[in-house]
Amino acid sequence: MIIVMNEKTIAVLKQAFKEFYFKNAEKITAPIRMKEREFGYMSFDKVMVRHLSFQTEGNLRAFLIKEMPHSVYYSCAYYYEPILAMDEKGWKGADLIFDIDADDIPTRCKEEHDRWICKDCNFMGKGKRPDKCPKCEGMRIDEEYWVCQSCLEATKDEAMKLMDFLLKDFGISMENIEVYFSGGRGYHVTVEKSALEELDQLARSEISDYVSGIGLSLESLGISKRASYEKMRRMLPLTNESGYRGRIAKFFSETEFEGYDGNDVRDKIIYIYEKMKHKNFENFVGEIVGKLSAKIDAMVTTDIHRIFRLPNTLHGSTGMLKRRCDDLLSFDPFVDAVALGEEPIQIFVDHSPKFTLKGKLFGPYKSERVKLPLMAAVYLMGKGLAEAD
Amino acid sequence: MFKRQDLLKRVGMEIEFGLEDLAKYPFLKEAGDYVKELSLSVEDLGQEDYRPAVERAKQRVMEAIQKNYISSEISEPTVELLSFPLALMLVKAMNVEYIIHRYSLAEAIRAERLLKEEKKSIISYIFKSTFNVEPISVEHELFDFKINLIEYLKRATHFHEPEWKLINRVVENGFVYLKTYELVRLIREEIRRKIYDRMKGVSLPSMPKNLKEAVHEISGVLPPPSDRFQRVTPEKFPPCVIHTLDLLKKGQNVSHYGRFLLTTYLLSIGKSVDDIIDIYPRSPDFNERLTRYQVEHIAGMRGGRRRYKVPSCRTLATHGLCFKDKILCATIRSPLQFGKKPPFKKKSTRQIRE
Repeated sequence: MIIVMNEKTIAVLKQAFKEFYFKNAEKITAPIRMKEREFGYMSFDKVMVRHLSFQTEGNLRAFLIKEMPHSVYYSCAYYYEPILAMDEKGWKGADLIFDIDADDIPTRCKEEHDRWICKDCNFMGKGKRPDKCPKCEGMRIDEEYWVCQSCLEATKDEAMKLMDFLLKDFGISMENIEVYFSGGRGYHVTVEKSALEELDQLARSEISDYVSGIGLSLESLGISKRASYEKMRRMLPLTNESGYRGRIAKFFSETEFEGYDGNDVRDKIIYIYEKMKHKNFENFVGEIVGKLSAKIDAMVTTDIHRIFRLPNTLHGSTGMLKRRCDDLLSFDPFVDAVALGEEPIQIFVDHSPKFTLKGKLFGPYKSERVKLPLMAAVYLMGKGLAEAD
Repeated sequence: MFKRQDLLKRVGMEIEFGLEDLAKYPFLKEAGDYVKELSLSVEDLGQEDYRPAVERAKQRVMEAIQKNYISSEISEPTVELLSFPLALMLVKAMNVEYIIHRYSLAEAIRAERLLKEEKKSIISYIFKSTFNVEPISVEHELFDFKINLIEYLKRATHFHEPEWKLINRVVENGFVYLKTYELVRLIREEIRRKIYDRMKGVSLPSMPKNLKEAVHEISGVLPPPSDRFQRVTPEKFPPCVIHTLDLLKKGQNVSHYGRFLLTTYLLSIGKSVDDIIDIYPRSPDFNERLTRYQVEHIAGMRGGRRRYKVPSCRTLATHGLCFKDKILCATIRSPLQFGKKPPFKKKSTRQIRE
């Protein structure tokens, strides 16, 4: 694993980014209400600069070509004075943004492609990072994530569930929703030009809890220890209802349960409730809600000052674009978000699993010198798995 | 005695707003306008004609102080309506912040009680004209209204009970469904604030004798201002408890765990359930029935019949509620030990022998 990028690698990456921004300047578009937003960037030396402001699209394009940043960010928030210190900016409102990240979704492939290394004794292992090194018990452990097709498919499933909540439950119009591949490990779903922009942190955390299925009480389904079965039967959800009630009713209606063969969903729920008893049923509903909810990063949605990668700019760790998905279902990040060219360059790869970009298969590599198209070379160098040769 | 015996206002969607309605909701602008149109002078109010209104005003304030409750029976609408601005004057004249709070809350609870039983069209009208919220009446087995998601969230996030969490509501197409009593509960704090602000804005003329007497009489039933907090002298409270009490006194919201600390602590030092419930009226989402239930639950009088212990200093620190005094808290592990243990450890006898 390469912890610190060498100067030559940085120079190659910067050059690749500069050329991309120069050739594609017209594709870099300003976000709406650009003048009211804070901008920031991180250089390839990992220096973070915030509290910037751009007045025109031209300024923004010129800046990208000149600075060749690792990452460029813009605020979800609108301010009176975006360049002042945080408490002096004057918050006007903020887009409602959801981040779905492969990190937050447990997938089997992680055991295969994620790795960790103990910084003290260099012991390595696959899968999720342990709390302490099994060899030397050291706590200083570096992680190495890899993102594969199935990780990104899993994030897509979560994004689809999220969209369902936004459209059906919250009544947000499709025109106000943009879905972006983040350029890295997942999707950003952005709600713009909506009255929701005035919501404060508390209100956003209610939205976030709703989408993530946190805090659902059995009482909201009409179930309580004290209620009689007659009362429960009246209050239980039906499949034609909306919100969680309807979703949960549908789940019960569509799932087979041993010993029940009727088709009245309320009867079915009472039958299962009686069989399982209160506590087990509660846990069971918890599991159902876990399946129905969307795994979003709550920190992102509730942070009303956060900065996000600017659409149509490159992700410094992959060389891929943050790109709008016109059709989420058919969007393939490893084709549609690949932005850099195919001119060959020589790099030294420390290690890498197999991966595919634009339909071309690469790797696996292990401590070897290879000539790869720019898009693949940058992909590995950005992740710290290879160096310029 | 009044220029007009009745008033009918036709507003928007064919809603008739009679004098009785104004008497029920005297904080409405329409009610204020009506009283203004009577162009009464302060001197007028000293006259015998207005005695019933002054009496009712006095009763409003006394009820609020003594019972946290203002009756809602209306015998004579004009008297009832006029008694409201008079009551505001009386409270303002007493100039005790705590009474101003208590009175505005009691008025808000009275309005809530009436609104719960109100016609849907009137509820919709009041919400729209006064609070800028447009509830839409629905024909539904379980619900009476739906309101816009944003309007719901702005208000419901101040409540801590699980039923107010968005995930426990029926949410459809940008609307949240509510029963009438829930819709009305959602707005109670705004009614309270409206009355509170109105009172703050009242300018006090020099009052006729009968009003001065009323103020005097009310002052007689007033508990001394700090009585509510007086049972144990505050110097003996540990800093965590003082901090939480201060928040309550300032009318700020106290976290669930903060309330738990305060309740367990005060029970442990021997305060009664009633005394404790009495310190809570200032919180913005006060609901006496619920508070009573919770305090009694903690006292072991309800539910599992288990009396809850005061949380330890360590647990309080986890919840960000520890405001440790470097010297006085140095040796204690529970807020209950505050002031009882000597601040520095004495050497144990064994250590001395060694």
